[in-house]
Amino acid sequence: MQYWINHNGVQHGPVDIDGMKELGLTSAAYVWHEGLADWVKITQLPELQGTYEMVEQAAEPVVARQSLEQQGAAVQQPQGYEQQAPSEPCPPTNLVWAIIATVLCCIPTGIVAIYFALKVSNKYREGDIEGAKRASETGAWWCIATIVLGILSLPLGFLMMSAGAA
Amino acid sequence: MRRTLVIALVVAVLLVLGFIYYALDPTASAVFPRCTFLSLTGYKCPGCGSQRAIHALLHGDVVGAFRYNALLLVAIPWIALCLYAEGQRIRNPRLYARLNAPLLIWLFLAILLLWWLLRNIFN
Repeated sequence: MQYWINHNGVQHGPVDIDGMKELGLTSAAYVWHEGLADWVKITQLPELQGTYEMVEQAAEPVVARQSLEQQGAAVQQPQGYEQQAPSEPCPPTNLVWAIIATVLCCIPTGIVAIYFALKVSNKYREGDIEGAKRASETGAWWCIATIVLGILSLPLGFLMMSAGAA
Repeated sequence: MRRTLVIALVVAVLLVLGFIYYALDPTASAVFPRCTFLSLTGYKCPGCGSQRAIHALLHGDVVGAFRYNALLLVAIPWIALCLYAEGQRIRNPRLYARLNAPLLIWLFLAILLLWWLLRNIFN
């Protein structure tokens, strides 16, 4: 079996198990072989025990994973590895809250929140988890802003109503 | 534990609001706020009529609810499904991803904008 390895951002492979022992791998490495849907941690494949040393987990697993996906997609595609939807769950799109805020708060800024939900979903599909998380956060703020503005504007509605009645 | 508390709180608030909107008629009572967007611009917002629609719906008047705010009526089952998926986001990421597919969000955005435009032209 041939393995592809990503160890601290450096790509190796294809190599077999004997070849892997010479690479000085640690448990921070990710591996992929034909038939796997996505990259996995080296520790998840029992047959690879003894090819790496256990170390503390890297401080920034998300960033490591992302650069890995970019490299992985570029390097592996000729080998028949198609870029899969990332296995990490989609960050909150806040879509429900955006819809509720739009329909109930009288402030059309909820539409911006829906736009950001779309952005989260699109970025997630493209594999840009970090971008999806950023859009998710911005969208959440638009939802909060819509609800707060909606509540703050209640007295204004009363004022306009009494002004109209007078 | 904290999750249960939040859900209990939300249910309590919904029950109180439901009772208020059932007991009082927004077309006849002065305690209900008027839409700020409508007051300021003279144009209806996508949510205008929601209070009257909820009152009508709580009295079983589906046709009336549709007349007050058709979008709200159509969106309620959708919102319920999305809320369920939201609660299951980690446990069932597939359902969540499906409901939040870009195509569906595009569709909703288009319906919303069209609804906003048309209700101001034909009303």
